[in-house]
Amino acid sequence: MICLENVSKTYQTGTVALRDVSLDIEKGEFVFLVGSTGSGKTTVIRLLLREELPDGGRIWVAGHEVARLSQWRVPYLRRNMGCVFQDYRLLPNKTVFENVAFALEVIGRPKHVIASQVPQVLDLVGLGRKRDSLPGQLSGGEQQRVGIARAFVNRPLILLADEPTGNLDPKTSLGIVRLLDRINRTGTTVVVATHDATIVDMMRRRVIELDQGTMVRDQARGVYGYGT
Amino acid sequence: MAANIQYVARETASNLWRNRLMTVAAVLTIAVSLSLVGAAMLLKQGVAHATTQWQHGVNVDVFLNPGIPAAQEKVIDQDLLQLPYVRTCTYRSQAYDYNEAKHLLTPDESQSLTTATMPASLRCVLNDPSQARGVAQQFSGRPGVKNVTFPSQAVHNMQQVTRILQWVFLIVAVILLLSASVLILNTIRLAIFARRREVSVMKLVGATNWFIRVPFMFEGLLQGLSGAVIAACSVFGLHLVLNALGDSRTSNVFTQMRMPVGEVLTTSAVVVLIGLVVGTAGSAFAIRRFLET
Repeated sequence: MICLENVSKTYQTGTVALRDVSLDIEKGEFVFLVGSTGSGKTTVIRLLLREELPDGGRIWVAGHEVARLSQWRVPYLRRNMGCVFQDYRLLPNKTVFENVAFALEVIGRPKHVIASQVPQVLDLVGLGRKRDSLPGQLSGGEQQRVGIARAFVNRPLILLADEPTGNLDPKTSLGIVRLLDRINRTGTTVVVATHDATIVDMMRRRVIELDQGTMVRDQARGVYGYGT
Repeated sequence: MAANIQYVARETASNLWRNRLMTVAAVLTIAVSLSLVGAAMLLKQGVAHATTQWQHGVNVDVFLNPGIPAAQEKVIDQDLLQLPYVRTCTYRSQAYDYNEAKHLLTPDESQSLTTATMPASLRCVLNDPSQARGVAQQFSGRPGVKNVTFPSQAVHNMQQVTRILQWVFLIVAVILLLSASVLILNTIRLAIFARRREVSVMKLVGATNWFIRVPFMFEGLLQGLSGAVIAACSVFGLHLVLNALGDSRTSNVFTQMRMPVGEVLTTSAVVVLIGLVVGTAGSAFAIRRFLET
Protein backbone atom coordinates (compact mmCIF):
# COMPACT_ATOMS: atom_id res chain seq x y z
CA MET A 1 0.00 0.00 0.00
CA ILE A 2 2.82 2.35 0.97
CA CYS A 3 6.39 1.75 -0.06
CA LEU A 4 9.47 3.91 0.37
CA GLU A 5 12.68 2.81 -1.33
CA ASN A 6 15.94 4.55 -0.34
CA VAL A 7 14.17 7.87 0.03
CA SER A 8 16.19 10.99 0.82
CA LYS A 9 15.00 14.51 1.24
CA THR A 10 16.98 17.67 1.89
CA TYR A 11 15.15 20.97 2.20
CA GLN A 12 16.38 24.07 0.45
CA THR A 13 17.58 25.45 3.77
CA GLY A 14 20.09 22.61 3.85
CA THR A 15 18.28 20.64 6.55
CA VAL A 16 18.49 16.93 5.88
CA ALA A 17 15.02 15.58 6.66
CA LEU A 18 15.37 11.99 5.49
CA ARG A 19 18.40 9.81 4.78
CA ASP A 20 17.98 6.67 2.74
CA VAL A 21 14.72 5.54 4.31
CA SER A 22 13.12 2.30 3.09
CA LEU A 23 9.89 0.93 4.46
CA ASP A 24 6.90 -1.12 3.44
CA ILE A 25 3.40 -0.81 4.83
CA GLU A 26 0.82 -3.41 3.87
CA LYS A 27 -2.84 -2.85 3.26
CA GLY A 28 -4.80 -2.75 6.51
CA GLU A 29 -1.79 -2.19 8.77
CA PHE A 30 -1.72 0.21 11.71
CA VAL A 31 1.68 1.85 12.00
CA PHE A 32 3.14 4.36 14.45
CA LEU A 33 5.85 6.59 13.08
CA VAL A 34 7.75 7.82 16.12
CA GLY A 35 10.70 10.03 16.84
CA SER A 36 11.45 13.37 18.42
CA THR A 37 10.61 16.68 16.80
CA GLY A 38 12.64 17.15 13.62
CA SER A 39 13.24 13.44 13.10
CA GLY A 40 11.47 13.49 9.72
CA LYS A 41 8.00 12.13 10.59
CA THR A 42 6.15 15.04 9.02
CA THR A 43 8.38 14.90 5.96
CA VAL A 44 7.28 11.30 5.38
CA ILE A 45 3.63 12.38 5.51
CA ARG A 46 4.26 15.32 3.16
CA LEU A 47 6.05 13.04 0.71
CA LEU A 48 3.17 10.58 0.75
CA LEU A 49 0.72 13.42 0.02
CA ARG A 50 3.09 14.69 -2.66
CA GLU A 51 3.31 18.06 -1.00
CA GLU A 52 7.04 17.50 -1.36
CA LEU A 53 9.05 15.51 -3.86
CA PRO A 54 11.94 13.27 -2.75
CA ASP A 55 15.49 14.13 -3.79
CA GLY A 56 16.35 10.48 -4.14
CA GLY A 57 14.64 7.12 -4.00
CA ARG A 58 11.14 6.10 -4.98
CA ILE A 59 7.75 6.21 -3.27
CA TRP A 60 4.65 4.19 -4.09
CA VAL A 61 1.24 4.95 -2.68
CA ALA A 62 -1.78 2.83 -3.58
CA GLY A 63 -0.02 1.51 -6.64
CA HIS A 64 1.17 4.85 -8.01
CA GLU A 65 4.74 6.02 -8.05
CA VAL A 66 4.19 9.38 -6.44
CA ALA A 67 7.03 11.37 -7.99
CA ARG A 68 6.17 10.31 -11.52
CA LEU A 69 2.53 11.27 -11.23
CA SER A 70 1.63 14.19 -13.47
CA GLN A 71 0.48 17.32 -11.71
CA TRP A 72 -3.15 17.02 -12.70
CA ARG A 73 -3.43 13.51 -11.26
CA VAL A 74 -2.21 14.51 -7.81
CA PRO A 75 -5.74 15.39 -6.57
CA TYR A 76 -6.89 11.90 -7.51
CA LEU A 77 -3.98 10.40 -5.57
CA ARG A 78 -5.00 12.45 -2.53
CA ARG A 79 -8.54 11.14 -2.72
CA ASN A 80 -7.08 7.77 -1.68
CA MET A 81 -5.71 9.34 1.49
CA GLY A 82 -7.38 10.99 4.43
CA CYS A 83 -5.26 13.26 6.56
CA VAL A 84 -5.55 14.37 10.17
CA PHE A 85 -3.46 17.12 11.75
CA GLN A 86 -2.42 18.30 15.17
CA ASP A 87 -4.17 21.64 14.62
CA TYR A 88 -7.35 19.98 13.22
CA ARG A 89 -7.50 22.39 10.21
CA LEU A 90 -11.23 22.82 10.39
CA LEU A 91 -12.96 25.75 8.72
CA PRO A 92 -14.14 27.95 11.59
CA ASN A 93 -17.15 29.43 9.80
CA LYS A 94 -18.64 26.11 8.79
CA THR A 95 -20.59 23.78 11.05
CA VAL A 96 -19.44 20.26 11.91
CA PHE A 97 -21.69 18.88 9.20
CA GLU A 98 -20.52 21.42 6.63
CA ASN A 99 -16.86 20.80 7.44
CA VAL A 100 -17.24 17.11 6.76
CA ALA A 101 -19.54 17.64 3.78
CA PHE A 102 -17.02 20.08 2.30
CA ALA A 103 -14.57 17.24 1.72
CA LEU A 104 -17.11 15.41 -0.42
CA GLU A 105 -18.46 18.54 -2.07
CA VAL A 106 -15.12 19.69 -3.43
CA ILE A 107 -14.41 16.37 -5.06
CA GLY A 108 -17.74 16.62 -6.84
CA ARG A 109 -19.78 14.04 -4.93
CA PRO A 110 -23.52 14.40 -5.56
CA LYS A 111 -25.83 15.73 -2.90
CA HIS A 112 -27.55 12.49 -1.99
CA VAL A 113 -24.18 10.87 -1.32
CA ILE A 114 -23.27 13.71 1.01
CA ALA A 115 -26.64 13.50 2.74
CA SER A 116 -26.16 9.81 3.50
CA GLN A 117 -22.40 9.61 4.13
CA VAL A 118 -21.86 12.57 6.43
CA PRO A 119 -24.35 11.60 9.20
CA GLN A 120 -23.00 8.06 9.05
CA VAL A 121 -19.39 9.10 9.62
CA LEU A 122 -20.42 11.62 12.30
CA ASP A 123 -22.12 8.79 14.16
CA LEU A 124 -18.96 6.73 13.79
CA VAL A 125 -16.85 9.42 15.50
CA GLY A 126 -19.57 10.02 18.09
CA LEU A 127 -20.59 13.52 17.06
CA GLY A 128 -23.97 12.77 15.54
CA ARG A 129 -25.66 15.18 17.91
CA LYS A 130 -23.24 18.05 17.38
CA ARG A 131 -23.60 18.32 13.62
CA ASP A 132 -24.78 21.94 13.75
CA SER A 133 -22.12 23.22 16.14
CA LEU A 134 -19.27 25.41 14.96
CA PRO A 135 -15.72 24.17 15.61
CA GLY A 136 -15.18 26.97 18.12
CA GLN A 137 -17.96 25.56 20.30
CA LEU A 138 -16.30 22.15 20.55
CA SER A 139 -13.57 20.79 22.81
CA GLY A 140 -10.19 19.88 21.33
CA GLY A 141 -11.01 16.20 21.32
CA GLU A 142 -14.31 16.82 19.57
CA GLN A 143 -12.63 19.01 16.98
CA GLN A 144 -10.13 16.26 16.26
CA ARG A 145 -13.02 13.84 15.84
CA VAL A 146 -14.45 16.18 13.23
CA GLY A 147 -11.02 16.20 11.58
CA ILE A 148 -11.02 12.40 11.52
CA ALA A 149 -14.59 12.32 10.19
CA ARG A 150 -13.57 14.65 7.36
CA ALA A 151 -10.52 12.52 6.55
CA PHE A 152 -12.54 9.32 6.58
CA VAL A 153 -15.83 10.38 4.99
CA ASN A 154 -14.54 9.57 1.52
CA ARG A 155 -13.57 6.05 2.70
CA PRO A 156 -9.91 6.43 1.72
CA LEU A 157 -7.55 3.49 1.46
CA ILE A 158 -5.06 5.20 3.75
CA LEU A 159 -5.50 7.45 6.76
CA LEU A 160 -2.50 9.59 7.66
CA ALA A 161 -2.37 11.34 11.04
CA ASP A 162 0.32 13.85 11.91
CA GLU A 163 0.52 14.26 15.70
CA PRO A 164 -3.24 13.81 16.05
CA THR A 165 -3.05 13.96 19.86
CA GLY A 166 -0.45 16.72 20.07
CA ASN A 167 -2.88 19.23 21.55
CA LEU A 168 -4.95 16.85 23.66
CA ASP A 169 -4.83 15.56 27.22
CA PRO A 170 -3.92 11.86 27.75
CA LYS A 171 -7.48 10.66 28.32
CA THR A 172 -8.84 12.39 25.22
CA SER A 173 -5.82 11.14 23.28
CA LEU A 174 -6.70 7.56 24.08
CA GLY A 175 -10.20 8.12 22.77
CA ILE A 176 -8.80 9.49 19.51
CA VAL A 177 -6.43 6.55 19.07
CA ARG A 178 -9.23 4.09 19.77
CA LEU A 179 -11.22 5.81 17.05
CA LEU A 180 -8.29 5.45 14.64
CA ASP A 181 -8.11 1.81 15.64
CA ARG A 182 -11.79 1.35 14.80
CA ILE A 183 -11.22 2.92 11.42
CA ASN A 184 -8.25 0.60 10.90
CA ARG A 185 -10.50 -2.39 11.53
CA THR A 186 -12.65 -1.37 8.55
CA GLY A 187 -9.63 -2.27 6.42
CA THR A 188 -8.14 1.21 6.15
CA THR A 189 -4.37 1.46 6.40
CA VAL A 190 -3.54 3.88 9.24
CA VAL A 191 -0.23 5.70 9.69
CA VAL A 192 0.12 7.80 12.84
CA ALA A 193 3.14 10.06 13.24
CA THR A 194 3.50 10.86 16.93
CA HIS A 195 5.82 11.45 19.84
CA ASP A 196 3.10 10.56 22.32
CA ALA A 197 4.59 7.57 24.18
CA THR A 198 1.38 6.76 26.08
CA ILE A 199 -0.71 5.95 23.05
CA VAL A 200 2.06 3.98 21.37
CA ASP A 201 2.70 1.89 24.44
CA MET A 202 -0.99 1.24 24.93
CA MET A 203 -1.72 0.11 21.40
CA ARG A 204 1.23 -2.24 20.88
CA ARG A 205 1.24 -1.94 17.12
CA ARG A 206 4.02 -1.78 14.58
CA VAL A 207 6.44 1.04 15.40
CA ILE A 208 8.85 2.68 12.96
CA GLU A 209 11.30 5.05 14.62
CA LEU A 210 13.12 7.84 12.88
CA ASP A 211 16.10 9.67 14.34
CA GLN A 212 17.42 12.73 12.53
CA GLY A 213 16.13 11.46 9.23
CA THR A 214 17.40 7.92 9.56
CA MET A 215 15.22 4.91 10.25
CA VAL A 216 16.56 3.32 13.43
CA ARG A 217 13.85 0.78 14.27
CA ASP A 218 11.00 -1.13 12.66
CA GLN A 219 9.33 -3.31 15.25
CA ALA A 220 6.12 -5.27 15.14
CA ARG A 221 3.98 -4.84 18.30
CA GLY A 222 6.45 -2.25 19.57
CA VAL A 223 6.50 0.44 22.23
CA TYR A 224 7.67 4.06 22.13
CA GLY A 225 11.17 3.78 23.61
CA TYR A 226 13.79 1.04 23.64
CA GLY A 227 13.72 -1.47 26.41
CA THR A 228 10.39 -0.55 27.92
CA MET B 1 -22.97 19.14 -12.65
CA ALA B 2 -26.02 20.92 -11.23
CA ALA B 3 -24.41 20.74 -7.80
CA ASN B 4 -21.26 22.23 -9.29
CA ILE B 5 -23.03 25.22 -10.76
CA GLN B 6 -24.73 25.81 -7.45
CA TYR B 7 -21.41 25.48 -5.68
CA VAL B 8 -19.69 27.97 -7.99
CA ALA B 9 -22.55 30.45 -7.66
CA ARG B 10 -22.57 30.22 -3.87
CA GLU B 11 -18.78 30.50 -3.55
CA THR B 12 -18.60 33.42 -5.95
CA ALA B 13 -21.38 35.33 -4.22
CA SER B 14 -19.84 34.88 -0.77
CA ASN B 15 -16.40 35.85 -2.09
CA LEU B 16 -17.69 39.04 -3.62
CA TRP B 17 -19.65 39.95 -0.52
CA ARG B 18 -16.77 39.29 1.85
CA ASN B 19 -14.42 41.49 -0.17
CA ARG B 20 -17.02 44.03 -1.20
CA LEU B 21 -14.81 47.09 -0.74
CA MET B 22 -12.06 45.66 -2.91
CA THR B 23 -14.69 44.45 -5.34
CA VAL B 24 -16.07 47.97 -5.69
CA ALA B 25 -12.55 49.35 -6.12
CA ALA B 26 -11.72 46.82 -8.81
CA VAL B 27 -15.01 47.36 -10.66
CA LEU B 28 -14.57 51.14 -10.62
CA THR B 29 -11.00 50.97 -11.81
CA ILE B 30 -11.99 48.72 -14.68
CA ALA B 31 -14.93 51.02 -15.45
CA VAL B 32 -12.77 54.15 -15.54
CA SER B 33 -9.93 52.67 -17.55
CA LEU B 34 -12.20 50.91 -20.00
CA SER B 35 -14.25 54.11 -20.41
CA LEU B 36 -11.05 55.81 -21.47
CA VAL B 37 -10.18 52.98 -23.82
CA GLY B 38 -13.67 53.19 -25.30
CA ALA B 39 -13.59 56.97 -25.50
CA ALA B 40 -10.25 56.83 -27.27
CA MET B 41 -11.63 54.33 -29.75
CA LEU B 42 -14.75 56.42 -30.28
CA LEU B 43 -12.82 59.63 -30.81
CA LYS B 44 -10.49 57.84 -33.18
CA GLN B 45 -13.47 56.69 -35.24
CA GLY B 46 -15.02 60.16 -35.09
CA VAL B 47 -11.84 61.79 -36.30
CA ALA B 48 -11.56 59.25 -39.08
CA HIS B 49 -15.10 60.12 -40.14
CA ALA B 50 -14.49 63.83 -39.97
CA THR B 51 -11.26 63.61 -41.93
CA THR B 52 -12.97 61.75 -44.74
CA GLN B 53 -15.66 64.38 -44.87
CA TRP B 54 -13.18 67.22 -44.90
CA GLN B 55 -11.27 65.61 -47.68
CA HIS B 56 -14.42 65.17 -49.73
CA GLY B 57 -15.14 68.85 -49.31
CA VAL B 58 -11.71 70.19 -50.24
CA ASN B 59 -12.21 73.32 -52.29
CA VAL B 60 -9.83 75.38 -54.31
CA ASP B 61 -11.06 78.95 -54.28
CA VAL B 62 -9.79 81.11 -57.12
CA PHE B 63 -10.33 84.77 -56.30
CA LEU B 64 -10.48 87.12 -59.27
CA ASN B 65 -9.30 90.70 -59.44
CA PRO B 66 -12.24 93.03 -58.98
CA GLY B 67 -13.41 94.58 -62.23
CA ILE B 68 -11.85 92.21 -64.76
CA PRO B 69 -13.81 91.65 -67.94
CA ALA B 70 -16.40 88.92 -67.98
CA ALA B 71 -14.66 87.26 -70.93
CA GLN B 72 -11.49 86.80 -68.89
CA GLU B 73 -13.51 85.28 -66.10
CA LYS B 74 -14.97 82.80 -68.54
CA VAL B 75 -11.54 81.78 -69.85
CA ILE B 76 -10.28 81.10 -66.38
CA ASP B 77 -13.41 79.11 -65.60
CA GLN B 78 -12.99 76.99 -68.73
CA ASP B 79 -9.29 76.43 -68.09
CA LEU B 80 -10.08 75.22 -64.60
CA LEU B 81 -12.73 72.80 -65.82
CA GLN B 82 -10.32 71.39 -68.39
CA LEU B 83 -8.09 70.06 -65.63
CA PRO B 84 -8.92 66.36 -65.14
CA TYR B 85 -9.10 66.51 -61.34
CA VAL B 86 -11.49 69.46 -61.12
CA ARG B 87 -15.05 68.22 -60.76
CA THR B 88 -17.09 71.40 -60.72
CA CYS B 89 -16.56 75.10 -60.43
CA THR B 90 -19.16 77.50 -59.10
CA TYR B 91 -19.02 81.20 -59.89
CA ARG B 92 -19.62 83.52 -56.95
CA SER B 93 -20.32 87.13 -57.75
CA GLN B 94 -18.78 90.11 -55.97
CA ALA B 95 -22.09 90.69 -54.17
CA TYR B 96 -22.14 87.09 -52.90
CA ASP B 97 -18.59 87.33 -51.63
CA TYR B 98 -19.36 90.64 -49.98
CA ASN B 99 -22.28 89.12 -48.10
CA GLU B 100 -20.20 86.14 -47.11
CA ALA B 101 -17.42 88.34 -45.84
CA LYS B 102 -19.88 90.42 -43.87
CA HIS B 103 -21.23 87.23 -42.38
CA LEU B 104 -17.82 85.87 -41.43
CA LEU B 105 -16.18 89.06 -40.18
CA THR B 106 -17.12 91.30 -37.27
CA PRO B 107 -18.88 94.57 -38.13
CA ASP B 108 -15.70 96.49 -37.28
CA GLU B 109 -13.66 94.51 -39.75
CA SER B 110 -16.22 94.48 -42.54
CA GLN B 111 -16.88 98.21 -42.24
CA SER B 112 -14.35 99.19 -44.87
CA LEU B 113 -15.52 96.59 -47.38
CA THR B 114 -17.68 97.48 -50.32
CA THR B 115 -19.12 95.28 -53.03
CA ALA B 116 -16.93 96.98 -55.60
CA THR B 117 -13.66 96.12 -53.85
CA MET B 118 -14.63 92.48 -53.19
CA PRO B 119 -13.17 89.90 -55.55
CA ALA B 120 -15.52 87.56 -57.36
CA SER B 121 -14.49 83.93 -57.09
CA LEU B 122 -14.63 80.49 -58.61
CA ARG B 123 -15.20 77.77 -56.02
CA CYS B 124 -13.88 74.52 -57.40
CA VAL B 125 -14.45 71.04 -55.99
CA LEU B 126 -11.72 68.54 -56.82
CA ASN B 127 -11.98 64.84 -57.52
CA ASP B 128 -8.61 64.33 -55.97
CA PRO B 129 -7.97 66.51 -52.92
CA SER B 130 -4.22 65.92 -53.08
CA GLN B 131 -4.05 67.91 -56.31
CA ALA B 132 -5.22 71.12 -54.60
CA ARG B 133 -1.71 72.48 -54.30
CA GLY B 134 -0.97 71.86 -57.96
CA VAL B 135 -4.12 73.66 -59.11
CA ALA B 136 -3.35 76.55 -56.83
CA GLN B 137 0.20 76.92 -58.17
CA GLN B 138 -0.97 76.72 -61.73
CA PHE B 139 -3.48 79.52 -61.38
CA SER B 140 -2.12 81.85 -58.77
CA GLY B 141 0.18 83.70 -61.21
CA ARG B 142 -2.34 84.19 -63.99
CA PRO B 143 -3.51 87.62 -65.07
CA GLY B 144 -6.86 88.46 -63.58
CA VAL B 145 -6.38 86.07 -60.67
CA LYS B 146 -5.96 87.77 -57.32
CA ASN B 147 -5.04 84.73 -55.30
CA VAL B 148 -5.88 81.06 -54.86
CA THR B 149 -6.60 79.42 -51.51
CA PHE B 150 -6.87 75.78 -50.62
CA PRO B 151 -7.39 74.27 -47.16
CA SER B 152 -5.02 71.33 -47.40
CA GLN B 153 -2.61 72.76 -44.87
CA ALA B 154 -5.41 73.21 -42.35
CA VAL B 155 -6.66 69.66 -42.90
CA HIS B 156 -3.13 68.37 -42.59
CA ASN B 157 -2.56 70.19 -39.31
CA MET B 158 -5.88 69.01 -37.98
CA GLN B 159 -5.08 65.42 -38.87
CA GLN B 160 -1.74 65.64 -37.16
CA VAL B 161 -3.25 67.04 -33.98
CA THR B 162 -5.94 64.40 -33.88
CA ARG B 163 -3.44 61.66 -34.58
CA ILE B 164 -1.39 62.76 -31.59
CA LEU B 165 -4.57 62.99 -29.52
CA GLN B 166 -5.53 59.45 -30.47
CA TRP B 167 -2.14 58.17 -29.39
CA VAL B 168 -2.26 60.03 -26.10
CA PHE B 169 -5.70 58.61 -25.41
CA LEU B 170 -4.63 55.10 -26.26
CA ILE B 171 -1.45 55.23 -24.17
CA VAL B 172 -3.35 56.56 -21.15
CA ALA B 173 -6.00 53.91 -21.66
CA VAL B 174 -3.44 51.10 -21.87
CA ILE B 175 -1.68 52.30 -18.72
CA LEU B 176 -5.00 52.42 -16.89
CA LEU B 177 -5.91 49.01 -18.21
CA LEU B 178 -2.64 47.62 -16.86
CA SER B 179 -3.20 49.20 -13.46
CA ALA B 180 -6.73 47.85 -13.42
CA SER B 181 -5.38 44.37 -14.16
CA VAL B 182 -2.93 44.69 -11.28
CA LEU B 183 -5.73 45.81 -8.99
CA ILE B 184 -7.94 42.90 -10.01
CA LEU B 185 -4.99 40.61 -9.46
CA ASN B 186 -4.48 42.05 -6.02
CA THR B 187 -8.18 41.83 -5.14
CA ILE B 188 -8.37 38.20 -6.10
CA ARG B 189 -5.11 37.44 -4.35
CA LEU B 190 -6.49 38.98 -1.18
CA ALA B 191 -9.66 36.97 -1.56
CA ILE B 192 -7.65 33.80 -1.94
CA PHE B 193 -5.33 34.72 0.91
CA ALA B 194 -8.32 35.26 3.17
CA ARG B 195 -9.44 31.78 2.25
CA ARG B 196 -6.09 29.98 2.18
CA ARG B 197 -7.26 27.55 4.90
CA GLU B 198 -10.16 26.55 2.73
CA VAL B 199 -7.93 26.26 -0.32
CA SER B 200 -5.44 24.12 1.60
CA VAL B 201 -8.21 21.83 2.88
CA MET B 202 -9.58 21.56 -0.64
CA LYS B 203 -6.18 20.55 -1.96
CA LEU B 204 -5.74 18.12 0.89
CA VAL B 205 -8.96 16.22 0.26
CA GLY B 206 -8.19 16.05 -3.45
CA ALA B 207 -10.14 18.86 -5.10
CA THR B 208 -8.80 19.42 -8.58
CA ASN B 209 -7.09 22.71 -9.34
CA TRP B 210 -9.86 23.66 -11.74
CA PHE B 211 -12.46 23.08 -9.10
CA ILE B 212 -10.64 25.48 -6.79
CA ARG B 213 -9.91 27.94 -9.55
CA VAL B 214 -13.32 28.28 -11.15
CA PRO B 215 -15.12 30.25 -8.39
CA PHE B 216 -12.26 32.74 -8.27
CA MET B 217 -12.17 33.07 -12.03
CA PHE B 218 -15.91 33.55 -12.07
CA GLU B 219 -15.48 36.28 -9.49
CA GLY B 220 -12.93 38.03 -11.70
CA LEU B 221 -15.20 37.58 -14.69
CA LEU B 222 -18.09 39.25 -12.85
CA GLN B 223 -15.91 42.14 -11.74
CA GLY B 224 -14.57 42.60 -15.24
CA LEU B 225 -18.06 42.37 -16.71
CA SER B 226 -19.65 44.91 -14.38
CA GLY B 227 -16.79 47.35 -14.86
CA ALA B 228 -16.97 46.89 -18.60
CA VAL B 229 -20.74 47.38 -18.73
CA ILE B 230 -20.39 50.68 -16.87
CA ALA B 231 -17.64 51.63 -19.32
CA ALA B 232 -19.77 50.64 -22.32
CA CYS B 233 -22.60 52.80 -20.99
CA SER B 234 -20.31 55.80 -20.64
CA VAL B 235 -18.96 55.22 -24.15
CA PHE B 236 -22.52 55.27 -25.41
CA GLY B 237 -23.18 58.37 -23.32
CA LEU B 238 -20.20 60.07 -24.90
CA HIS B 239 -21.58 59.16 -28.29
CA LEU B 240 -24.90 60.80 -27.38
CA VAL B 241 -23.12 63.92 -26.12
CA LEU B 242 -21.09 64.17 -29.32
CA ASN B 243 -24.27 63.78 -31.33
CA ALA B 244 -26.05 66.46 -29.34
CA LEU B 245 -23.11 68.82 -29.82
CA GLY B 246 -23.10 68.08 -33.54
CA ASP B 247 -26.84 68.60 -33.77
CA SER B 248 -26.80 72.31 -33.05
CA ARG B 249 -27.81 74.46 -36.00
CA THR B 250 -24.38 75.83 -36.78
CA SER B 251 -22.36 73.02 -38.18
CA ASN B 252 -19.14 72.44 -36.26
CA VAL B 253 -16.40 69.89 -35.82
CA PHE B 254 -18.73 67.51 -33.98
CA THR B 255 -21.23 67.43 -36.83
CA GLN B 256 -18.61 65.81 -38.97
CA MET B 257 -17.65 63.39 -36.19
CA ARG B 258 -21.15 61.96 -35.97
CA MET B 259 -21.16 58.27 -36.75
CA PRO B 260 -23.64 55.42 -37.11
CA VAL B 261 -24.90 53.69 -33.94
CA GLY B 262 -23.58 50.36 -35.24
CA GLU B 263 -20.00 51.52 -34.89
CA VAL B 264 -20.60 52.73 -31.36
CA LEU B 265 -22.15 49.41 -30.43
CA THR B 266 -19.15 47.59 -31.87
CA THR B 267 -16.86 49.75 -29.76
CA SER B 268 -18.96 49.01 -26.66
CA ALA B 269 -18.84 45.29 -27.41
CA VAL B 270 -15.05 45.44 -27.71
CA VAL B 271 -14.90 47.24 -24.36
CA VAL B 272 -17.05 44.57 -22.69
CA LEU B 273 -14.89 41.85 -24.21
CA ILE B 274 -11.69 43.46 -22.90
CA GLY B 275 -13.28 43.67 -19.45
CA LEU B 276 -14.20 40.00 -19.47
CA VAL B 277 -10.77 38.89 -20.58
CA VAL B 278 -8.90 41.11 -18.13
CA GLY B 279 -11.08 39.99 -15.21
CA THR B 280 -10.94 36.29 -15.95
CA ALA B 281 -7.29 36.09 -16.97
CA GLY B 282 -6.30 38.30 -14.03
CA SER B 283 -7.86 35.98 -11.49
CA ALA B 284 -6.55 32.87 -13.20
CA PHE B 285 -3.09 34.39 -12.97
CA ALA B 286 -3.56 35.46 -9.34
CA ILE B 287 -4.53 32.01 -8.12
CA ARG B 288 -1.67 30.29 -9.91
CA ARG B 289 0.82 30.43 -7.06
CA PHE B 290 -1.71 29.22 -4.51
CA LEU B 291 -2.20 26.05 -6.48
CA GLU B 292 1.45 25.08 -6.76
CA THR B 293 2.33 21.70 -5.23
